[in-house]
Amino acid sequence: MSWLHVLAAVVCVGALVLRVRAVLPVFSRGRQPSSARRKGKAARQPTDKTLCIVLGSGGHTAEMARLLQGVDFDRYARRMYVVGDSDLLSLDQIGSLEAARDHEAEHYTVCRIPRSRHVGQSFKSSIVSSLWTLLHVCRVMLQNSPDAVLCNGPANCVLVGIVALVPRFWGIKHIPVVYVESFARVTSLSLSGRIMYYVADRFVVQWPGLREKYPLAEYIPHLV
Amino acid sequence: MLAYVAVGSTGFDKLVSAVSKKEFLRALGSRGFRRLVVQYGSSEGAFCPPSTVSESSGVSIDHFDYTRWPQRYVEQADLIICHAGTGSILEALHAGKPTVVVPNHALMDSHQSEISEELAAAGYLLVSEPDELAKTVGGGKYLDLIPYPHADPRPIGDILDEECSRQ
Repeated sequence: MSWLHVLAAVVCVGALVLRVRAVLPVFSRGRQPSSARRKGKAARQPTDKTLCIVLGSGGHTAEMARLLQGVDFDRYARRMYVVGDSDLLSLDQIGSLEAARDHEAEHYTVCRIPRSRHVGQSFKSSIVSSLWTLLHVCRVMLQNSPDAVLCNGPANCVLVGIVALVPRFWGIKHIPVVYVESFARVTSLSLSGRIMYYVADRFVVQWPGLREKYPLAEYIPHLV
Repeated sequence: MLAYVAVGSTGFDKLVSAVSKKEFLRALGSRGFRRLVVQYGSSEGAFCPPSTVSESSGVSIDHFDYTRWPQRYVEQADLIICHAGTGSILEALHAGKPTVVVPNHALMDSHQSEISEELAAAGYLLVSEPDELAKTVGGGKYLDLIPYPHADPRPIGDILDEECSRQ
């Protein structure tokens, strides 16, 4: 291998690192205003943005249903729900949630994706099924082209969060990712949370102890 | 008065068994309860209430595995006894009902009992073990709990709006 190859490799890796650094929210989050509520904002205009909502098991979904009460569905006129295909309960809950909020036509799609890991599955086969899940996530993100992602902890939200950064990496589209750590997490982050801390543009925790441990997190009590 | 016991989407043998025991029913009866509704999930086998009304201290018992409308029972209840699932806890607290949480140690990691401990420390609910449940209910401490504050999820909408207008 000549020195030219080495130089090319170094330049490529350098460019990649710089781009990832520019794109990963964890490096810029500290500079952003962290006030959750700004009063006297310009009147909210209805927009036809698509909001991607990642749902998980019963507890996560129940919490998400409460969080969505704070989201103006006139602004996010289309919703896409990403649901693990084994989670029939969530499907039920989406139906009743949307029915309560949107009385007209159904402006939402449900994207079912295969589960990334089954209980007791071997490590090797769980890698294969994770890739399969990733492929499905890429497909539903391409099809629905969301304008923002809201998630709160199920394993699938990590895949969705990372896939949402890909168009940003290429400078195509900025899809902000908002992560709300589960109310059940009092003193330590979930595994999803520990990863999403680097991936999400806004990282919200619901207990003060977590704010102390994770300085880039925003602490907002009584959300749910 | 109605007491509602819910184990959520799985099962919880120890809790279901504890609430069908005479000792627990006697405690309920002594607190003026006349109805008990038990959602036992997959723990049907653990549910074995006394067959006669006199043995159940005058408490009439309804039971089922799952319901699509748990809210209906939560709204009617004067006391809620549930597992430590976030969904169940929040539902009970937001309904403003006295709540006793029984963590299922067999099922979950330690962090899931953290949440009930934290809320208990703040005085919003009581935490009990299955075998202490009769004593907890009989003691009547659930009447002294502090009402849970109203939730406000609007900051999440604001954060999304901010992030979307940033680009």
